[in-house]
Amino acid sequence: MNIKKILFLGAVLFISGLISAQATLKEEIKEIEPKVIEWRRDFHQHPELGNREFETAEKIASHLESLGIKVQKGVAKTGVVGVLEGNRPGKVVGLRADIDGLPVKERTDVPFKSEATGEFRGEEVPVMHACGHDTHIAILMGVAEILSKNNDFPGTVKFIFQPAEEGAPPGEEGGAKLMVKENVLKNPDVDAIFGLHISADQDINTIAYKPEGIMAASQSFEIKIKGKQSHGSTPWTGVDPIMAAVKIIDGLQTIISRESKLTEEAAVLSIGKIESGVRSNIIPEEAMIIGTLRTLNVDMQKMINRRMKEMVPALAAVYRAEAEIEIAEGYPITYNDPQLTAQMLPTFEKVAGKENVRLIKAITGAEDFSFFAREVPGLYFFLGGKTPGVENPAPHHTPDFFIDERGLLLGVETMTQLTLDYLNQS
Amino acid sequence: MKKYLLTISLLIAGIANAQTSIPGDEFENIEDEVIEWRRDIHEHPELSNREFKTAEKIAGHLKSLGIETQTGVAKTGVVGILKGENPGKTVALRADIDALPVTEANDLPFKSEVTTEFLGSKTGVMHACGHDTHTAILMGVAEILSKHKDKINGTVKFIFQPAEEGPPPGEEGGASLMIKEGVLKNPDVDAIFGLHINAATPVGTIKYKPEGTMAAVERFVINVKGKQAHGSAPWSGVDPILISAKIIDALQTIVSRNAELTESASVITVGKITSGVRFNIIPESAEMIGTVRTLDPESKKLILKRMRELVPAIAEAYGGQATIEIQNNTAITFNDPELTEKMLPTLKKVAGEENVKLMKATTGGEDFSFFQEEVPGLYFFLGGMPVNGEPTRHHTPDFFIDESGLLLGVKTMTQLTLDYLNN
Repeated sequence: MNIKKILFLGAVLFISGLISAQATLKEEIKEIEPKVIEWRRDFHQHPELGNREFETAEKIASHLESLGIKVQKGVAKTGVVGVLEGNRPGKVVGLRADIDGLPVKERTDVPFKSEATGEFRGEEVPVMHACGHDTHIAILMGVAEILSKNNDFPGTVKFIFQPAEEGAPPGEEGGAKLMVKENVLKNPDVDAIFGLHISADQDINTIAYKPEGIMAASQSFEIKIKGKQSHGSTPWTGVDPIMAAVKIIDGLQTIISRESKLTEEAAVLSIGKIESGVRSNIIPEEAMIIGTLRTLNVDMQKMINRRMKEMVPALAAVYRAEAEIEIAEGYPITYNDPQLTAQMLPTFEKVAGKENVRLIKAITGAEDFSFFAREVPGLYFFLGGKTPGVENPAPHHTPDFFIDERGLLLGVETMTQLTLDYLNQS
Repeated sequence: MKKYLLTISLLIAGIANAQTSIPGDEFENIEDEVIEWRRDIHEHPELSNREFKTAEKIAGHLKSLGIETQTGVAKTGVVGILKGENPGKTVALRADIDALPVTEANDLPFKSEVTTEFLGSKTGVMHACGHDTHTAILMGVAEILSKHKDKINGTVKFIFQPAEEGPPPGEEGGASLMIKEGVLKNPDVDAIFGLHINAATPVGTIKYKPEGTMAAVERFVINVKGKQAHGSAPWSGVDPILISAKIIDALQTIVSRNAELTESASVITVGKITSGVRFNIIPESAEMIGTVRTLDPESKKLILKRMRELVPAIAEAYGGQATIEIQNNTAITFNDPELTEKMLPTLKKVAGEENVKLMKATTGGEDFSFFQEEVPGLYFFLGGMPVNGEPTRHHTPDFFIDESGLLLGVKTMTQLTLDYLNN
């Protein structure tokens, strides 16, 4: 054999090896599908609220341990972190699944319907996985099982099972922010992080993604206006805080419509509540307004925050009142690193089929995956969970929320392949 | 020539008759008693439609004077009818008798220590608007006039009215109920007089104004209906808070742009706004309540019409709906110009010309106005502030009246009655 033949044969062998490895992995994933669905049903039937995911965490931890994955428990209260090392050195990938349920009463009639209750703000409430975090856990447990049996990759995988994505109970810390604080992205240091969200409004077997801001930064704000109380019949003896509130509500809208570069990204400012006064004939002393700001670009967020802080006291002063505004830090923008997104797009297309991967517009909802993506390059995408042909599916967080389990398989495949492709390409 | 002389002498007698008056010492003699009544009522205040003991005291007094007395009029009201020896017109004199849910902070020997339950919470009760003085003054007038029936051409009706401050929720009461029960009929009242003590006007002074003196009070409720949406997706809903802001803003322009302010003042106040539950939900609806004050029937009509037009139109402009309900609480306290002009000499004669002051209208409301809608009426303010003292505010725990001001009240009401009936 001459050198050319050897090279040719080598190339053929290498390619067929790659193809067969690919085929084997796909088969293996298909094989564990029933298990993934079973786990998901178990979690669905036994949902737990944020920072109270005790049994959920037990199940996750013992699964990871059974795979020989190094497990840390009690991370950010009820979180579980597994570290799986490949058979050679390389980069570190974080894979994140959120694990908490919601205070919603399930109304579907699936055989594994939740009858669970929990304590929320001092009251016993029904609990449901009404946002599909049960599917996220099951998918990531499946990915862990596959990768633990195929450790022929460079680098390390960190499985991050995160509590309290929906928010910690009042007065408690929790969620991604606390995980970051507890150094979940360190030791070994995570180079990139992937996360997904099942969507009840998107056909199964599809993936939706967007580079840069995909979900909004969410900030709550509170405005307190101080006027001067007076009788309703003699407004000239007082300062009307409702009038100042009106001008502020009106003025705030113009920060969006007149000052924000909406071609860059969308932004939304909503007043959710206003409260002032006790009766018809007293001009009250104070008014209170609370609301939410959603932004998709850090510079716009900064600008809008600054303008709100300028405008609120200034408008109040125009009407002889005083006002102060407090804007909470809230959730950051769920920002998909453009380079990482471009790098991983072929993986999406390979796994789901090119026609099933869709570039979407930003969503003004928020997600605390953003705290991870703020620290390290991240990629967050949506996985279809809707039966094709269904019209008007129940929205997330509602009693009729429903996920077609056939959509989970693509989740396992995508997360597995993102991990392998990222580590192998680095 | 004789004939002429007779005419002239008759004319002079007529003028003398027009000057019917009561010897000054009679008033001086009764002052202590009036003050004593006032202190007693001040120490034992009762809330609107609950003036049981107050009414008993009034009725007992009127009966003791031989005045025909009706009790239980408009629930706790008392009406006395005193017929003069000569026929003539009928004058009504009105005093309101109810107290307020205010806890007295004054340090007086006759300070009110009364407490009660009001709208579900415990509160002190206080004559914090001076109706105790009105009651005592009118009791004094009744006593004086009952001793001079020979000087009365016609009939005097003493109306002790409950619930001027408004009846408890769900109950009727006050001037409107008295009218409904026929208090101005049988005998039919030709003119009505009323006064209000004032804690910011010095003792000895009378203030009056022809036409609109106190405002018509309307209470309005605006309900705005939007469409609930997540705070992050306003485009999928209709924001009722923004609509409310536009409505509140626009209502102000009715006063500043539509009302003829040179004619009379008017005020629109939104006193309460409620909408929403949390920061990230755009609510389904918003509610506002407020008050309108007007001083002239024409501008009242215009303002209410513009409010009814603007509110739903603005809501529609922003994709929502809104309704407004306007409920009348008091009419305009409208002093009949002719009657006012006719009685002005009496006010000046009693108080002294320099002590009678033409005032500007006030935007407070008074249910005496309902009587004035039925018959010509004159309502005036009587000084109750110590001459070199500080004014206090009505309806507050520190509200204070200098009792030496009461005597002028008794004199004025008595003289108004005599002068009206005898002219």
